[in-house]
Amino acid sequence: MVVDPTDKTLPQGDSVSNNQYTRYLKEKYNINVIVDWTAATGNDYKQKVSLSIASGKLPDGMVVDDRSFMTKAASSGLLYDITDLFQQYASSQVKQIMDSTEGRAMENASYKGRMVSLPNITVDTDGVHVMWIRKDWLDKLNLPVPKTLSDIEKTAQAFIDNHMGGDKTIGIAGPSKNTFPYATFLVSSNNLGGFDPVFGAMDAYPGYWLDNGDGTVTYGTLTENTKKTLALLADWYKKGLIDPEVGTRDNVGDPINANQAGIFFGPWWSGGYGNGDSFKNDPTANWQAYPVYSDDGKWNVHMKTTGSTYTLISKKAKPDVAKAIIIMNNALVRDEATFDVSVAVGWYPLRNVMAAANETEYEYNELLKVLKGETNPEDYNQPNSLYKLMYADAKKVKNVIKPPYDDLNVGNFDMTNFGDFQRMYSLMIGDRPYATIPIDKKVYSVTYNQTPTMETKWANLKKMEDETVLKIILGQAPIDSFDKFVKDWKAQGGDEITAEVAELLKK
Amino acid sequence: MRRWSVQKHYYLMLLPGMVWLVMFSIVPMFGIVMAFENYNPGQGIFHSEWVGWDNFKYMFQLNDSKTVLINTVIIAVGKIVFHLVVPLVFAILLNELTNLRFKRLVQTVVYLPHFLSWVIMATIVIGIFGYYGVANTVVQMFGGQPKLFMADAGLFRQLVIGTDVWKEFGYNAIIYLAALTGVNLNLYEAAAIDGANRWQLIRHITLPSLATTVVLLGVLSLGNVLNAGFDQVYNLYNPLVYSTGDILDTWVYRLGLQNLQFSLATAAGLFKSVISFVLIVISYRLAYRYADYTVF
Repeated sequence: MVVDPTDKTLPQGDSVSNNQYTRYLKEKYNINVIVDWTAATGNDYKQKVSLSIASGKLPDGMVVDDRSFMTKAASSGLLYDITDLFQQYASSQVKQIMDSTEGRAMENASYKGRMVSLPNITVDTDGVHVMWIRKDWLDKLNLPVPKTLSDIEKTAQAFIDNHMGGDKTIGIAGPSKNTFPYATFLVSSNNLGGFDPVFGAMDAYPGYWLDNGDGTVTYGTLTENTKKTLALLADWYKKGLIDPEVGTRDNVGDPINANQAGIFFGPWWSGGYGNGDSFKNDPTANWQAYPVYSDDGKWNVHMKTTGSTYTLISKKAKPDVAKAIIIMNNALVRDEATFDVSVAVGWYPLRNVMAAANETEYEYNELLKVLKGETNPEDYNQPNSLYKLMYADAKKVKNVIKPPYDDLNVGNFDMTNFGDFQRMYSLMIGDRPYATIPIDKKVYSVTYNQTPTMETKWANLKKMEDETVLKIILGQAPIDSFDKFVKDWKAQGGDEITAEVAELLKK
Repeated sequence: MRRWSVQKHYYLMLLPGMVWLVMFSIVPMFGIVMAFENYNPGQGIFHSEWVGWDNFKYMFQLNDSKTVLINTVIIAVGKIVFHLVVPLVFAILLNELTNLRFKRLVQTVVYLPHFLSWVIMATIVIGIFGYYGVANTVVQMFGGQPKLFMADAGLFRQLVIGTDVWKEFGYNAIIYLAALTGVNLNLYEAAAIDGANRWQLIRHITLPSLATTVVLLGVLSLGNVLNAGFDQVYNLYNPLVYSTGDILDTWVYRLGLQNLQFSLATAAGLFKSVISFVLIVISYRLAYRYADYTVF
């Protein structure tokens, strides 16, 4: 299983195979968990997964974070067909959540019509990237919240000119050497530190397969709007508004947590969960989240797929084991809210996130009602609710958030229980834009999966894309190199792949 | 049998190395067949579809294969040359020092980096050459504009070669220093009496005495022409420097472990091994001819 090396919440004496979650499974369900291997989050874990698929030796259960791992294992015949087992043993709550995606989650978890994995289902807002900005800096400079790209440009310049984050103030933080300038159809959510809202404001959707409406598709990176956005980003970089070390940093979060940066882009959890150290370093860091609008006042957003991780069950697993894994998922969905999460829930064996697509927006609105005294926490005491964390959050919210409730700032939040603080901050500040402001244009990718030709040719095309985009932003290549990239991309398999994706439209 | 009882501790010392060799180099060799298959993990290496040379043909059609091959050779050759020259110069200079304590101190300090892994060294290198790093502070002192060294494709190879030499030259100098202790001191005395100055002593005694060592090390390093150093490059590179910094090993890593193209990655790895094997055989022959060096 995957382990976060920076996590220190496991009590002394407990281990990955003996902790409150494994004991819970043992006591309630008589499920014994044996951990085959562990690896740190990120590349280490991917590498282990890749090796165990390559060697054909899967553990009975394993969570993978990339659909191509699932399809590779499935096409190699390594996976348990859980179509019937799932119908038989999944709880009604789990099935309800699956249904809330209108069949997209089931399709995502299946290979050639058979269900071969437990999908995770994450909230839609994981794919809605917003602008995070230091409101306290804006207030000090007496500036309004920037709405459009030209506003952002002026604001970032003002932050830098006034040394708001010290001598090395960074106007806008950006991707690291391991992350990407924008989310793509293969990794369509949780792109912390990318420039997604900037592209959205220019009506550009790079990395997405766009339906042209006439039976043809376009790869979003190749469009004129993407080119214009890249020219704009290159201009910002040249003016020193974007982190000079963009694309080469080890960690996206470094300048943000060091409180050197005034603006960054990311999904709802990037403020709160994502930048905890920023608040520890400066409890007055008033990060606020807003949409970025196009010049004609539209909020355009590219939407994500249902989920991005998959629990694989080995073909060689005993039926009882396969059953147990499905039950472990039921148990987590039902009881997660009752767990003492001071021990990170990541220690739950084969943890699989399942949430109704609109869970965060629902919680935002209901928690606000609780705060204003319109409802009581007990009103949410409904076992097996679709919104599994609601009751627990309703009981906590007043401990964390202090009045007045109209305009929440970091000063309203109590950080004593830091875990609770992070959750409430992300929910009430980070999800506020998506919960309260209607999106003008939602863009879905025609597909979120690889086509057959992509399996061999995508790596090369993606490398070309990454290289071109970063070089243009950093001013190492002229904007005209974009045209050559488009030509090369098409010639080296892009056209072939585009035809395959267009074929998918017909279904 | 008597030989065994006298030499058994040697065999014992050999054992861990042999176990390592068998486990990590000989057993995995059976996986080579994957290069000629359309490998399917579910069917294993014995039952996957046989495709002959297809993976190799496809590999050479990719634009990348040419780029990574060129990068690999340039970086590796650069490393070979500088790994020969820099330690040699360093060893000679160190040998000229008369203060023994200072000499030992310098020797210890310069070979310390050899013991750090590239994971740690890369953090240090990125720190030094980062936007706010020491290198840029110096550039600014002389009135230059700060630049992003790590993102400059034109500098990446030099950076890789330079930092690798920096890390290893102290360690590599040990062999030269050892060879220098073997030089007959009478030669220096005789030359000094004949009126040779320091420079002439180095030129006509030290360098000729080291010549065979240099030739030997140079020839033996031929086998590394396709080894540009995975650990180092993997920890230092980013998409901006792919064009000059992507090497065979990092390419294979991305193909195989990140893109799950197991057969293609194996083919690329095998290609590298075959070329390296040929080079090693050649270098062994050359070493025998010019430096009278034999293993067997």
